[in-house]
Amino acid sequence: MGKYLFKRILFSILSLIVVVGIVMILVYTAIHRNVVLQTDDLWNKKKENDRIMYEYTRYEDYGYLDLYDYGSFLKTKYYAIYGDDYSNQDDYKADMNAIKNADEVWNNASVQEFVQKYKTDKNYNIKYLAPVNYQNGKQKPGGRAYLFAVDEKSVFSRLLNYFTHIVSFETTNQVKDPNLTKDQRYVRFEKDPYSWAGFALVGSGTQHKYLLYFDTRFPFIHQNWMHLRLGTSYTTNRGSEIMDVVMTPTGNLVKSYQQYPKWIQEGRTETEYTALDFHTATYNKAETLTAQELDRYPDRYTTVSYKVSGLTPVGNSFVMGIIATVIAYVFGIMLGITQARHKDKFFDHLGNAYIVFVTAVPSLAYIFIVASIGTKFFHLPLKFASADNKILAYIMPIISLSLGSIGGEMKWVRRYMIDQMNSDYVKFARAEGMSEREIYNKHISRNAMIYIVQGIPASVLFALTGALLTERVYAVPGVGGKMIDALNSHDNAVIVAMTLIFTTISILGEILGDLLLAKYDPRISLSSSSGGGRK
Amino acid sequence: MNNDQKKNYGGAASNEELGFRVIGNNAIQSEKIIAPRYSYWRSVFRVFFRKKINYFLLALFVLMILSAIFVPIICPFKADENVMHAEYFNKSPAYMIKHFGFSFKWLLGSGNAGQSITYNIFAGARISLLLAVICAAINMTIGVILGAVWGFSKKLDMILIPIYNMIANVPMLLIITVLVYILGAGFWSLVFAMCITGWLGIAFFFRTQVMIIRDREYSLASKCLGTPVRRIVSKNILPYLTSVIVTLLATELPGYINYEAYLSFFGLGLGEKVPSLGRMISVSQTAFLTFPWEFWPPVIFASLLTIILYLVGQNLADATDPKTHM
Repeated sequence: MGKYLFKRILFSILSLIVVVGIVMILVYTAIHRNVVLQTDDLWNKKKENDRIMYEYTRYEDYGYLDLYDYGSFLKTKYYAIYGDDYSNQDDYKADMNAIKNADEVWNNASVQEFVQKYKTDKNYNIKYLAPVNYQNGKQKPGGRAYLFAVDEKSVFSRLLNYFTHIVSFETTNQVKDPNLTKDQRYVRFEKDPYSWAGFALVGSGTQHKYLLYFDTRFPFIHQNWMHLRLGTSYTTNRGSEIMDVVMTPTGNLVKSYQQYPKWIQEGRTETEYTALDFHTATYNKAETLTAQELDRYPDRYTTVSYKVSGLTPVGNSFVMGIIATVIAYVFGIMLGITQARHKDKFFDHLGNAYIVFVTAVPSLAYIFIVASIGTKFFHLPLKFASADNKILAYIMPIISLSLGSIGGEMKWVRRYMIDQMNSDYVKFARAEGMSEREIYNKHISRNAMIYIVQGIPASVLFALTGALLTERVYAVPGVGGKMIDALNSHDNAVIVAMTLIFTTISILGEILGDLLLAKYDPRISLSSSSGGGRK
Repeated sequence: MNNDQKKNYGGAASNEELGFRVIGNNAIQSEKIIAPRYSYWRSVFRVFFRKKINYFLLALFVLMILSAIFVPIICPFKADENVMHAEYFNKSPAYMIKHFGFSFKWLLGSGNAGQSITYNIFAGARISLLLAVICAAINMTIGVILGAVWGFSKKLDMILIPIYNMIANVPMLLIITVLVYILGAGFWSLVFAMCITGWLGIAFFFRTQVMIIRDREYSLASKCLGTPVRRIVSKNILPYLTSVIVTLLATELPGYINYEAYLSFFGLGLGEKVPSLGRMISVSQTAFLTFPWEFWPPVIFASLLTIILYLVGQNLADATDPKTHM
């Protein structure tokens, strides 16, 4: 069993890598990269060299390549020699101006060093854009000279880089600050006045102050130690990590009377009406802290975000999805059993008509039927995002989500129940004189459930990924539409990340489903060594 | 009973004495089984038309196909016909009929660019049906043939199972959207996107069905008696699977129509120039309370299309199952 599971997980990871690789090839190689510029107004306005440079920076933003600029190369070089004052030095200025002369450029020592570093050592492409001038020697608009190195990423290195950097851990050496001595870098349990547990795992020298903490927000235990790096969203949420995009709560600020960390330390009694969540504190890199910050915080962990009332996008999708899933299973199983008990009677025909309706009619149609009935007759809010009463706003999306899945469950429960009804064990139970109700509830439904059980973990997990159509129609700020949005705006990193999430969830759901099935029905063995199915 | 008769019974009496007569041995006659004449397809139609509602459904089905073929020919849809006349934008059927007189064209009012909703629906239905038929034909042909071979071949199993496990893990929506995004929206790129992996699921499903019947007792008995594989496939397995194929078809066909509507709703399916039911719904959905005549007709028409296809298919599938022929 253990060996079987190990093999299966190994294969799953392999297929995960293959799938992500395929999507990377599709997204980065199969589509010509200039699609990202087609809707770019700024690109149309730019001219000459500026335009070419702009193209390359855009390609870097979208993750097609890595760009190394000559200017920043010089900065690091001279910063190491002169420190902060490097930009006023004459040799820096001379090197900077060297690229403006197209004939002399390759003779410059710094340029040669640049070429040596990127071309010879790393085999990147060196691009030089000579200045574009008018006849009279004056520079044309956008005709500035540029020198840079381009690293075109291959699919293999991109894939390798993606999976080797997917998980990152915070270490005590993370913050590069010479003021922080070795003894000031630690990770230890400390008293935490902001949590119900009274203590938290606190780090110093790490990016976040609270690495493990407890509060009253679901799921009550939080960590900042391990981070998933799925890539950086470019278009929709400029420059933010994808995990942050889907995990940052939205909504109104939740203010309360709180004390700043230093105030508590010093035993001051004053409080402030604020929404700050001190558990989110991260290291402040600023050279000097402001007087206010010095007054409020005992250390440099002063960058704090706010508490908000709403859920994260994942949270929004999950709450709706999980309620709809529970409703679907409860009603689907109950109605399916009732249908089988009254086979070929009125209720069965009614149920079948419902099943045909939800399977054949496009989901688009019945979602709008629900929406129009709900708004016209029950005055429920149509748009979730702008609704005042969030509980009422949940009703229509949940009904829309569960209508289809109830039908799906009913269909299978009825089918399996009817298949079981003529089994020998049912006839035997009847011969023993058991009541029909007992036979149905204790014998047939339990055997019919075997087939239903397998799908449960996948349904629960897929609640996390949200429902595209329902979320779009009711304007729910969930994760369902992220994929479509990314596809429409060529947000390549999000496409790859969403693929990874979808695939992981579907693989995990399948494995958990099989395990649950084996647990529920002892006759089923997952490893093929002990019996198993025919092949 | 007297003694003479007793003696005759005990001894070797001739046939004439017992009242029998020899008529000879006819090899051809002896092969015939006296049973009611059975024709598979005749039985299928007998069972299908036993339900009276199927006449009605079939009539609707034929009407739907014919109207999807001929209405767009007789009444060609032009999206930009009234684009210069803002006074005809988003107008109700009553307004348009008052203006232009009673006509089939303005029976359902006008859309957001002054186009005829009626004509748009039939043009969209034609595309939807065409897409469904082409995709189903490609996927079903490849899927069923490959599935049948897959069910018998251990070698193919070794190659295809890992591929299936990998590809089945990628959501279908992702494959289609990424491919449409790469190829650009349009009818044939959507067909390509739906067919590139669509056959795999069908083939896998069909493989399992073939395996189940391959290992049934009667198939094993045939095999033991020395029946060649080809005959087992054609006589033992395929007749049983006809109903499975028809059931699959009954869910696949409306499935593609649904999917097109779903994708067009997000602006990912067919291009801007191809009339589509899904995009009609998508364009009018924001105003489904203010201009209901633009929104509900395509919704109802798409639903009718899928529900009729589904019901006709299901009932035909029931009829093709030989077990119902008793």
